[in-house]
Amino acid sequence: MSVIAPKFRLGYLIKGVIDNIFWIILLVTLIGIPIVQIVLIYIDFPIIDGEIWNPFRVLDALTHPERALPLVVSFMQSDLFKVVAFPGFGFAALIAAATIFIERKMLAKLQLRVGPFYCGKVEGILQLMADGLKLISKEIIIPAKADKPIFWAAPVLFAATAGAFVALIPVAPGWVVADIDLGLLAVFAVIGFFPIITILSAWSSNSKFPFIGGIRALHQMVSFEIPLILSVLGIVMLTGTLNLAEIVQSQANFPWIIFMPVGAVVFFITILAELERIPFDLPEAESEIVAGWLTEFSGMMYGLVQLGTYLKLYAFAGLFVVLFLGGWNGPDIVPPFPAEIVTDGITILPGALTVEIPGLPLLAHEMINGTIWFMLKTIGVILVILLPRGVFPRIRIDMLLHIGWYKLIALSFVNIFIALALVYGGVIGPGGIL
Amino acid sequence: MVDALFLGFAVLTIVSAIAALEMRSLIYGSIALMGTLGGIAGFFILLDSPFVALFQIAVYVGSIAVLILFTVMLVKRELIFKMKEDRKRRYAGIGLMLIMMVALGSLLFSSGLPSITTDEPPVDYKEIGKDFLTYYWPALIVMGLVLAGSITGAIALARRVDGVEDEQRTD
Repeated sequence: MSVIAPKFRLGYLIKGVIDNIFWIILLVTLIGIPIVQIVLIYIDFPIIDGEIWNPFRVLDALTHPERALPLVVSFMQSDLFKVVAFPGFGFAALIAAATIFIERKMLAKLQLRVGPFYCGKVEGILQLMADGLKLISKEIIIPAKADKPIFWAAPVLFAATAGAFVALIPVAPGWVVADIDLGLLAVFAVIGFFPIITILSAWSSNSKFPFIGGIRALHQMVSFEIPLILSVLGIVMLTGTLNLAEIVQSQANFPWIIFMPVGAVVFFITILAELERIPFDLPEAESEIVAGWLTEFSGMMYGLVQLGTYLKLYAFAGLFVVLFLGGWNGPDIVPPFPAEIVTDGITILPGALTVEIPGLPLLAHEMINGTIWFMLKTIGVILVILLPRGVFPRIRIDMLLHIGWYKLIALSFVNIFIALALVYGGVIGPGGIL
Repeated sequence: MVDALFLGFAVLTIVSAIAALEMRSLIYGSIALMGTLGGIAGFFILLDSPFVALFQIAVYVGSIAVLILFTVMLVKRELIFKMKEDRKRRYAGIGLMLIMMVALGSLLFSSGLPSITTDEPPVDYKEIGKDFLTYYWPALIVMGLVLAGSITGAIALARRVDGVEDEQRTD
């Protein structure tokens, strides 16, 4: 009987952990802190209210809410916060993680199974964390005849490209990482990188299954990019802009899906194909070619690819919401922040103690409202993207290409003609009735 | 800043172009070609035309490079390279390139283009689109027909009838 770790003792583990802590403390005190102090000499600190601010002063201010809140507000407007936390990576990664868990649970319920159950007592809620720990602690195995530089770079590039895609999606008014005039074109430019990375990683692993999967992915992605771009052209014609935030603003009264259901359906099907989801999951068909182009990835490399895949899923769902479902537009459901707190402060003891907190409200009202509507719509779209996996079988590659090249392209041209009719009929668009 | 960016893009473009020609591995060569095309997209961004730059990335890096990768991976190497490498050819190529560059450069410098100063704003891509849809619409339609015809012709030429005629079930 084989045991995975025959010489495991709890004492060894504790000793190892304590050893690591000791060395970390030693190295930080001897090397880290002097380096930080030397660096602090050469940094110019900002001057706020006539005082030079340094890190110690910031730490001091953080203990007083009335001084900390303006700092927090100004930090939330910075690019760093936008990239790392809110509309950027952190937010998208949280949604991606939730998507993985919900996908497993929902599929299990659809197929009358239980799904993740034991980890974390309540319905297996900690399963994701356990999976992440498992992936991190696994060894990264690289095939002997693999092309090492490309093989190493591919998962990182995949996750980075998905992150670039996420950065273009506007979540709430003014809350987008990269607000560029040509947002939609930038989306197409970013999407174009996925097939390259896929085929390069598939080729570099020097193995048969990944290569077959990579070729399939290339066929699928390249042929479905054309209906993807064509189905969105109608919206560009009606709005006359490529900026995603302006496209959302143009849907303040009605979402475009009312006028372009054909385009929305085509766009949704191409999303399924670009994301390699069932019924278009030929590149990862686990019953035919092991795991497709992911076969040779192990450990955290596989984890990175999974992260990239689900970031891409969130970004595509967000793009669908932005283009067809009206983005952050929706009726007010959040009560506005009470104005008297901003002007008068909070009265704790009437007549005796009033606390005035500058920097409130922390988040604008329309931002909270918009984020909630965007989240609701995006989660709905994600659920609809997940749903076919429990229902449909996989289709053949020739049927896939047939759908892509004949039916979807024809339908997207129908959509373009609908948009043209609306513009030239004077119904919508620049100078239209609506 | 702009100068540094220009230098960076120039180095990227030229070095990866040379690498694309000289690499022994065809895959790395096509990756280097992607670098060249991306560097050119960077030049377009420096020239204040992000529209062209993004199309450069979407079309050239995203599609053409994929086609080249595809071809390299699926076609046998002997079919692409029948010619043996030849020292004379290489020197002749370098000489031809130098002659071309000197000729083009002398043309450019003698044409008076470097000394032109203009206050006119750059042409907006929206204006170009409007012109295409209004005044120049016959040209647009002719272009579309020519492209569609050439694609159809290419498909008809590339079509191979071999093996089983129709594998698809029709029921």
